[in-house]
Amino acid sequence: MESILFYLFAVLMLGSAVMTVTSRSAVAAAVWLVFCFVNAAGVFALLSAPFLAILQILIYAGAIMVLFLFVIMMLQGPVLPDERERRPWSRIAVLVLPPASAAVILIAWLARGGVTAFSGAQPAVRGTAEAVAELLLNRYLLAFELISVVLLVAIVGAMALGRRKEELPWK
Amino acid sequence: MEVGLTHYLILAGALFLTGTAGVLTRRNSLIMFMSVEIMLSSVNIVFAAYSRASGDLSGHVFVLMNFAVAAAEAAIGLAILVEIFRLRRSVNVDDLNSLME
Repeated sequence: MESILFYLFAVLMLGSAVMTVTSRSAVAAAVWLVFCFVNAAGVFALLSAPFLAILQILIYAGAIMVLFLFVIMMLQGPVLPDERERRPWSRIAVLVLPPASAAVILIAWLARGGVTAFSGAQPAVRGTAEAVAELLLNRYLLAFELISVVLLVAIVGAMALGRRKEELPWK
Repeated sequence: MEVGLTHYLILAGALFLTGTAGVLTRRNSLIMFMSVEIMLSSVNIVFAAYSRASGDLSGHVFVLMNFAVAAAEAAIGLAILVEIFRLRRSVNVDDLNSLME
């Protein structure tokens, strides 16, 4: 059952990621990316991380993608497929990506005999909100406070970038 | 065959490669941004998979940090994109070459 769900989520996630990268229109790419993140939440749920699965839906598929779609709609022009979608880097991508993909497949082939199964490892620790909060507010309290400073700087920076230049206090 | 750590690592590697391909080949900076989000997401899967394999929840804390970094990156990056669009009326990275000239 778990492996069926894993392959379902994995195939859907990879497929929608490829559709995101290859879509001509930015709106279509954003909608495929939302689907990709919903499947990532399913992968987290399989990894016994229900708290992360919910946050993935809330933050990624919710907040971040709404921001993306809002900006795409606001910019209007680039919503239409860009006729000048030239690909000068394609040659490098063609040189680099097939060997990298071959490496992934090689790793998969090498690991066919010795897949690290979770059942043989440590007993599963469920990443519920309580368990993660216990770590976050004790052992990683400093990192937790610092990441809130990062978010504060991002808020101030985004507001400073979004205002009209003559409204800035130092102008 | 039972699904284990290796399967999740291969999924994350394939996702990371997909994101890399998007950043390298696309010229629309919005879609390049989305490809970067795919790459960040694949790293989250690696953290969660190793957390599951080692029975330690610290990886989940790192994923939370990564969520915050991704949100900050999207907010700042999209604000910069809006500002660039106001100045140049384009989000195609080929038009942003004034430092090359």
